[in-house]
Amino acid sequence: MTAPRARGRRPWPRRGVFARSLREERRGLVGWSVGIATYCVVVLSVYPTIHNNPFAKIFQAFPEVLRRLFNLPDFITGPGYLGTEVFSVIAPMLLALFAILWASDLAAGEEDRGTVDLLLANPVSRGRVVLEKWAALAVGTLWLGAVLEATLGLLGPVFSLSVGWAGLSAAVVGSTAFALAFATLALAVGASSGSRGLARGVATALAVASYLLSALAPLASAFGRVAWLSLWDQALGHQPLTTGLRLGNLSVVAVVTVVLLSVSLWGYDRRDLAT
Amino acid sequence: MAPATPTTRAVAPEATSVPDGSVARGDPPISLTGVTKVYRGGGGVRDLSLEVGWGEVFGFLGPNGAGKTTTIRLLLDLIRPQRGAVRLFGLDARRDAVAIHRRLGYLPGEFALYERLTARETLAHFARLRGGPDEATVERWAAEFDLELDRPVRALSRGNRQKVGLVSALMNEPDLLVLDEPTVGLDPLVQRTVHQRLRGAAASGRTVFLSSHVLSEAAEVADRVGLIKEGRLVAIERVAEFRARPVHEVEVRADPAAALDALGDLKDVTVRERIEGGLRLEVVGSLNPLVAALAALDVVDLSVREPSLEDVFLSYYDGSAR
Repeated sequence: MTAPRARGRRPWPRRGVFARSLREERRGLVGWSVGIATYCVVVLSVYPTIHNNPFAKIFQAFPEVLRRLFNLPDFITGPGYLGTEVFSVIAPMLLALFAILWASDLAAGEEDRGTVDLLLANPVSRGRVVLEKWAALAVGTLWLGAVLEATLGLLGPVFSLSVGWAGLSAAVVGSTAFALAFATLALAVGASSGSRGLARGVATALAVASYLLSALAPLASAFGRVAWLSLWDQALGHQPLTTGLRLGNLSVVAVVTVVLLSVSLWGYDRRDLAT
Repeated sequence: MAPATPTTRAVAPEATSVPDGSVARGDPPISLTGVTKVYRGGGGVRDLSLEVGWGEVFGFLGPNGAGKTTTIRLLLDLIRPQRGAVRLFGLDARRDAVAIHRRLGYLPGEFALYERLTARETLAHFARLRGGPDEATVERWAAEFDLELDRPVRALSRGNRQKVGLVSALMNEPDLLVLDEPTVGLDPLVQRTVHQRLRGAAASGRTVFLSSHVLSEAAEVADRVGLIKEGRLVAIERVAEFRARPVHEVEVRADPAAALDALGDLKDVTVRERIEGGLRLEVVGSLNPLVAALAALDVVDLSVREPSLEDVFLSYYDGSAR
C-alpha cells in the first residue's frame, strides 16, 4: 500500500485479430443480446393469456389431419407456441441479420475505412485474418444463440411454459447454423468483391429466398421438389423444436458453410486491396 | 554522419561499414524488375526497375498521382503487379509476404485507425501480431514523439494519428522501413525527430524507403533520390553529388551574338534561351569561367539566381543525360 497505483492502468492489451474483432463488436453484441432477450420475455409473457384462451383450444380439438391441412398453429403446448412465435421466422432471421451485417463488414469494412494497410503490414497472412475474423463472428453468433436458449429455457417455467432442453437446443442450433451459413456467404461476397453493400444485399436476399422456398414447399409441389435446396429447409424445415437434431441436415449446412469460407479465403487472397 | 552507401545496381553490393553490424545481410532489401501495374483509369507504374541496398535511405520523389503509392503498395503485397518481379530481402513479395513483413515496418500514405480503440490498444494489437515490442518500449517511442497513448483514436488530431502510424512502423526497429510521405501533418520538431531516427536506422545498416512530393525533405534524409513521373522512373541520383555541384541560373544582358561567341566552348555553361538583349544561361559549378569569358564584353546587366532544389535535381539529371 506504499507505492501509489498507476492511475486507471489496465494490462497491456495484446489482442490478436480474433480478440480485437470481438472487442470492436462488443457493444453490438450487448445490444443484440438485450434485444433478443427482451423479445423472448415479451413472447413468453403473453403465453399464459393465449394458453388459457378458449379460442386456441378450439383449434386443438380439430382432428390432426385438419390441423395439418390448414396449418393451424398449436398454441397449447410450449414447443408448439415457441415454434410458431419464435422459431418459425423471427429468431433465425434475427440471428441471420446480426451475423450478415457483421460478416459483410469483416473483409470489406477494413478496406472501406482504410485500416487494412496497417493491419496487413504485420506478419499475418490474409487467410489468417479472414479465419480469425470468421471465428470471432462464429463465437458472437453462438453467443446470441446461447442468449436465446437461456432466456427461453430458464424463464419459460416462470410463465408456465415448459419446453424440453433437447428440443430447444436443436432449434437454437438450427437457427445459429442457418445464420452462420448466410453470414459466411456475406463474407465470401465481401472478401471477393470488397463491397459491403453487395455482400449485405446478396446474403440477405438469398436468406429470405431460402426461407420462402421452405415455407412455400408444402403449398406447391413445384417448390416441394426443390425445397432441399433451401438451407432454411435443411436447418429448420423439420421443426427441430419437436423433432430434435437431425445431424444429416445440419451437416449439409456445415459443408456449405465450409465451402463458402474457402471461397472467402481464396477470393480475399487473389485480389488487389483498395486504398 | 551518413555512411557511404553501397551501389547495388548491376553488381553485387560492396561491403559497407556498419557500426554495430546489427542487421543481417544478404539479398537487397528492395528489388523491382520490370514491374508494371496499370489501372484502368490510367495511373500506376510502368516497367519499373529499382534496387535499394542495405544501409541506404532512398527518397522516392514525384508529384501526387505519379505512382509512388502504387509502388509502395506493390512492395507490401497489397496489390499485385501485372508484369515483373517484386522481391524484398530476395523473397517473393506475394509468396513470402509473412516472412517479409516480419522484417518490415510500413507507414501508409493514407490510413485510418480503429476508431474504437485507444492508441495504446492499437499499438498493443500490432505488437501482438508482430511478436514484439513490450509496453515499455512502446511508451518510450510515444514519449519521443509526444504521443498521448490513452486517448481513443477518434479523439486524436491528424498529426497524432500520423504518430501512431509512425510508432507502429518504427517500434520494432525493422530491417526495412517503407514510409509513404512520413512527415505529412507533423510539426517541424517531430519532423526532425523522425528524420534523425531514419538517419540513425540507416547508420546501423537498416534500409529506409520513403516517398515524398517535396525534394527538400527527400534531400535532407536520403542518400539517393529517385524521381517518378507518370508511372515511370525518370531519374536516380545521389543526393551528395547533385548537392556538391551548385547550379545557377544566369541572365546576361549583352549583345547575344558576341556573348555566344565569347562563351564558345565553356563546358559547364548551357544556353537555355535567348532573351531580349541577352541570354539565359545555366551554370553548373563555379561561376569563375563564365565571369572571365564575359569580361571582354560590354555587359549591361548580370543577374544570378539560385534555383529551387527541384530545378537543380531536374537540370542535373538533364545534364547527365545529355
